[in-house]
Formats: sequence, structure tokens, C-alpha cells
Amino acid sequence: MTTAQQQAITDLITKMADDELILGHRNSEWTGLGPIMEEDIAFSSMAQDKIGHAWALYRILQEQLQGQDPDQFAFMRAEADFKCCHLVEMPIGTYDFSLMRHFLFDHAEAVRYDSLQQSSFEPLQQLSRKLKGELKYHTLHADAWIIQLCRAGEESYNRLQAALETCLPLAFGIFEPAKEEQELTGANIYPGERALFERWMDNIYPVLVNASLNMPDPAGISPQFGGRYGEHTPHLRPLLQEMGEVFRLDPTANW
Amino acid sequence: MYGGGYIFDEPNRKQLREEQLHDDPEKLAAFEERIAKGEKIEPGDWMPVEYRRQLTRLIEQHAHSEVIGALPEGTWITRAPGFKRKLALIAKVQDEVGHGQLLYNAAETLGKSREAMINDLLSGKSKYSNVFNYPAMTWADVTVIGFLIDAAAIVNQVANAKGSYGPYCRALERICYEESFHLKQGHDALIELATGTPVQKAMLQDALNRWWQPIMHFFGPPDKVSQHSEKLMQWKVKMASNDEMRNQFLDAYVPKIWELGLTLPDAHLHKNPETGRWEYTDPDWDLFFKVINGGGPCNQERLQVRKWAETEGRWVRKALMKPEERKVMPVA
Amino acid sequence: MSNQSYDPRVNRLKLGSTDDPIKVEEGENWNIYEVFHQEKRGAHHEHVGCVHAPDPQLALVFAKEQFGRRKKCVNLWVVRSADILAFDLEDEDMFANNMEKTYRDASGFKVMEKINKFKGAGKQPPAKDGKEK
Repeated sequence: MTTAQQQAITDLITKMADDELILGHRNSEWTGLGPIMEEDIAFSSMAQDKIGHAWALYRILQEQLQGQDPDQFAFMRAEADFKCCHLVEMPIGTYDFSLMRHFLFDHAEAVRYDSLQQSSFEPLQQLSRKLKGELKYHTLHADAWIIQLCRAGEESYNRLQAALETCLPLAFGIFEPAKEEQELTGANIYPGERALFERWMDNIYPVLVNASLNMPDPAGISPQFGGRYGEHTPHLRPLLQEMGEVFRLDPTANW
Repeated sequence: MYGGGYIFDEPNRKQLREEQLHDDPEKLAAFEERIAKGEKIEPGDWMPVEYRRQLTRLIEQHAHSEVIGALPEGTWITRAPGFKRKLALIAKVQDEVGHGQLLYNAAETLGKSREAMINDLLSGKSKYSNVFNYPAMTWADVTVIGFLIDAAAIVNQVANAKGSYGPYCRALERICYEESFHLKQGHDALIELATGTPVQKAMLQDALNRWWQPIMHFFGPPDKVSQHSEKLMQWKVKMASNDEMRNQFLDAYVPKIWELGLTLPDAHLHKNPETGRWEYTDPDWDLFFKVINGGGPCNQERLQVRKWAETEGRWVRKALMKPEERKVMPVA
Repeated sequence: MSNQSYDPRVNRLKLGSTDDPIKVEEGENWNIYEVFHQEKRGAHHEHVGCVHAPDPQLALVFAKEQFGRRKKCVNLWVVRSADILAFDLEDEDMFANNMEKTYRDASGFKVMEKINKFKGAGKQPPAKDGKEK
């Protein structure tokens, strides 16, 4: 593998992991506060899965790409070195927002891991095969909720339509292209953001139709980019401070 | 987690005692004989009014304790240090919600709906374990809760799992299995601090000092003042006295604290070699009753947070309500 | 709320006053579904508890995490509690004599005794301990 490829893979894995780490933290804020106990449990499991995926990805960085210890890298890194998209940084808001974010993000995640099952980079290929079943549940869960709530009357339908409109520019930001992308697409490591975006649209569109949600014209949406290059919303910094708070009490200690 | 050994008494006992007079003596005798033989009571069985009332109250309070118990630890999820601790903590808090779910179901088999129980929690009519009315101020608090309070809960729950009501026993069987993970992860995190740097040791000792009194309160007032009747013991609703459970807890866990070079803030705490029982300074029981009645440092916040969650989730629940559908309580 | 909480998450929520009355409506926690899990292929589905859900589809989604997140599980069933038909517990006496009806049970047939008796009859009488010499 060339140095340029190594850098490009590192960049890809870092942004995937940072997305999952931050959204896993956000979604775990609902643990104990969900709309009904059964959903609380389900949503919490998926938050755990996301943090678990992030951990697995950071371990690939550490073991295959001379990366740092995952705990140090995840919890002590400077804000500007984070590559997560803005969608995952937003506070939990109301449940309509959190559900719509979950729906849009988890379909994007599913498409990404699905494409990685054919990756020429062995560790990502193995991981994506391992996570297939988890992701299937996540999208099943998200689809069921979106469709049911949209068919359950005006208030819930309107809430989800509004959430969709809020989330879409942020969700388009998931697919912010990377500069070194062709290093990876050329080597069949992954298909590139544009291809993933199209597959994602193909997957979410039938669900939105089924739910009678109105998809705004994608051409009119300006994606919220910047996250992949270290530019973040004001919401990320306080969360990172919280995440590292205990570590910083005594950086020499094991916790 | 957490039954808490103490079933809080409600004010309306007298009225129900009168109703109990109407219990058919023959059925009562058969019911008591079944329990004496070690058989379980199932939801469709005849049962004395007072048995149903006390069990509903016990299981409901246990469920509320799980739901409220998820709050002081849930707050530490974002701050939990490192992947392993963080995932274990989310899984643990999730289990608590899961335990609440199992317990509400068990209580529902006795005829009171989950909605009614939630309303009684929110209005303050129904109680939960006092121990959750204290704040978890540092990461060390999380380890103390995870180890010692879960340990206390296990003592209580293992006892209750031998009780007479089938659905409660079945729920507790699964709960106890999951609690063993809670206890182990709590112990592991606590040992990490106890054997760590001076900063870590100091924060752990501080947490132990603050939590000791609430832990001593956990099993409820001493037997000499506790009002629980012989009847509840005979019916296998209450399985062990408060002092018995407290002694069992001290016997198993005080040595595990001392062996780590930590201290507990009671100079009198020791095991009497002659009686084999632990002796200790009585915790402040007036404070215990004050906290039950809403006067603890976090009572207000805990209920406010639950109200926030119920209010936030209401549109979701109401959107999918189907009042016309036939509904029965859980069958088992 | 006037006081800052020790809980950063709580500080992010906009909590109302504790005096606001909040009442959950009856039925707001939906209907009740019994859950059956299959631990491995070839095993029976066994009853493990129940979930509250608005319909069978979400009941399955919920059951998966509440009853399938630990230990081995390969499949789940859900059925509305209201759709379960059961005997009254008082009818337990219908089953009471099962154990006496040994003609339905392998233990009710002493084949070896008869064989041993037959074998013993043609030869010498069996020893007192039942074994042949």
C-alpha cells in the first residue's frame, strides 16, 4: 500500500469512527429518558452498537495504520482533529429529530458498510461482514418508526416532515468528499462518497414514499460540509469536554 | 438493580384491612397451605386482598427504583472514561430500564396498569428506593453505586426471588442474572480506583464516605421499629428482615472494601466474634424518613426529569395509541 | 430549575416546575404482547415475558432488544396477550391424576421382570438377589 493510500484510508476510517462515536454519545443521552421503556432499551442498544463500531474502527487504525491507543485517540483528541459530520454533533433535541437523524444516518452507515464488504482492505471487509446483522436491525427499527409515525395522524406526520427538512442538509454532509478519495476508489477500497450518496438516496427514497413524506428537491439543498476537515458546530466542543473530563483528572491513571 | 429492603407504607391500611375480612376463609386456608408447601401463586389464582395490595406495592416500588436508579448513573454515560467503562455503563443503565420493564409487567399481572403506576410515581404517591435521592458527584460515585448498591440490591433480590408470587420470581431470576454483571463491572471499576493513583484513591474514599449512610439506610429501619407484619413473612412477600439483610450485606462486602485499604466512616463498625453479627453506629433514621417524604437532595430533580421524559415522549405514545383494541394484562 | 444539577444532561434539558401535573392516559403505554424466544434451531420457542407495543411489528422490534440482547437467540415470536386462551388455574385438578396413570408411561411396564422370570422358569430357580447363577 502506498503512503497516499494509507493516509486516505486513515482519513476514511477516522471520519467513519468519529461519526459513530459522537452519534453514539448523543443517542445514549436518551438512555433512561426515552418515550417508552421498550424504545428506550432498543435505542440504547443501538447507541452502544455505534460506540462499539467506533472502537473497532479505532482499533483498526491502531493495529494496521500506526494509530494511537483508541481511548486516547477518542477521548483526548483536539476538536480540530475530529472528522465527524455536523449531523452527529447536533444535540438530541426532540424525539422526532433524533429518530429522523437515526433513520438518515443509519441508512448511510448501512450503505457504507455494505460497500465495504467488497473492500480490498481486508480489515474493513471483515468488520463490515461482522456488523451486517446489527445494521440490518438498526434500519429495520428506523424504517418501522418512520412509517408508523407518519401514518399515525397529523401531529406526528408534521413533526417528521419538519425533522426531515431540518436533517437533510446535515445528512447530505455525511457525504462530503475527501480530497484523497481517488486513492481509495482506484484501489477498490471503497466506492467514494458520490456513489454512496446515490445508493443511500435509492434506499431511503422508498421508505419516505411509503411514509408519504415529501422529499425536498435535492438540487435545492446545500449540504452542510466542513466536518470532515475539522470545522465543527459549536455543539461539539462541550460534548468533547464532557467525554474527556474524567481522563483529564489524572492523565497518568488507568480508569 | 435495587429493590431496597423496605416497603414503604401507604396511609390507607385500615380500609383495606376491612376488605380483607371478606376474604373467604376456606380459600385463604388453601392459599396459605399452597405457600407453606413452597408452591408459587400465579396471576389467575385467588389471593387475599391484602396480599395483592402489598405485592403490587412491593413490585411497583421496585420497578420505580429501577427507573429512577437509571438517572444518577445515566448522567455519567457521556463522561465515563474510555470505551470499556462507557459501554459497560450504558449496558448497565439500559438493564435498569429493562428491569423496570420486567417488574412493571409483573406488577401488571396483579391488575394495576403501567400507566397508573407511572402516574403514582410522578405524583409522589408511590415511592422508590431512597438511595437514588443522592447525587452521583464524581466518577468514583459511579463505581460505589455499581459495586455496593448493586450488591445490596442483590442481597434483597436473591431473597425476594424465593418469594411466593410466580411472575415476580421469574422477573427476579433474570434480574439477578444481569445484576451479577453489574456487580462485577462495578467492583472492577472500583478496584481500578482503589489501586490507582493518589487522585483516584482520594476520590474513591470521598465517595465511600458520602455513600455509606445511604447504603446503611438501604435495607430500611431496624427490625425493632419496622412495622412489617408476620403475615407478609408467612405469605412470602417479605423474605428476610431488614436487619438480617443488612447483616448479610455487611458480612459479604465490608471485608471487600477493607481489603483494598479503604475505610468506612463508622469507627464502631465491626463483626462481633461471639454473635457473628455486625455491629455499627445507627445511621440517622430521622433523615431516612425525611428523604422518603421528599426531603432528600435530589428528590425534586429525579421526579422533574421523569416528568420531562414522560412529557417529551407523550406525542410518540399518543400517536400510536389504539384505545379501541382489546387489551388484557400480561398473562404470566 | 433554579439550582444547577450535578448532571450535565439534566442541565441541557429544560425542566419544568415539579408542580406541573402530568398524567399519563390509560392506554398510552399501548397494548401488551407476550414474547417467545427460540434459543437455537431445533429448540421450542419458550415464553420469556412481554412488551408493550402499538402493533405486532414494533412488538417484535422491541422484543429483539428486551429479550434477545443477551445470550443465544435465533428467533422470536410475539402474540397479543389478549389473544392467548388459557385454562383457569382452578382447573389444575383436571391434570391432577396424570402421575397415577402409569399405563401411559414407560415406567409402568416392568419388561425386565417378566423376561427374567421367563428365563428363570426354564432353568434353576433364580437366586434371592434376582441374578442368575
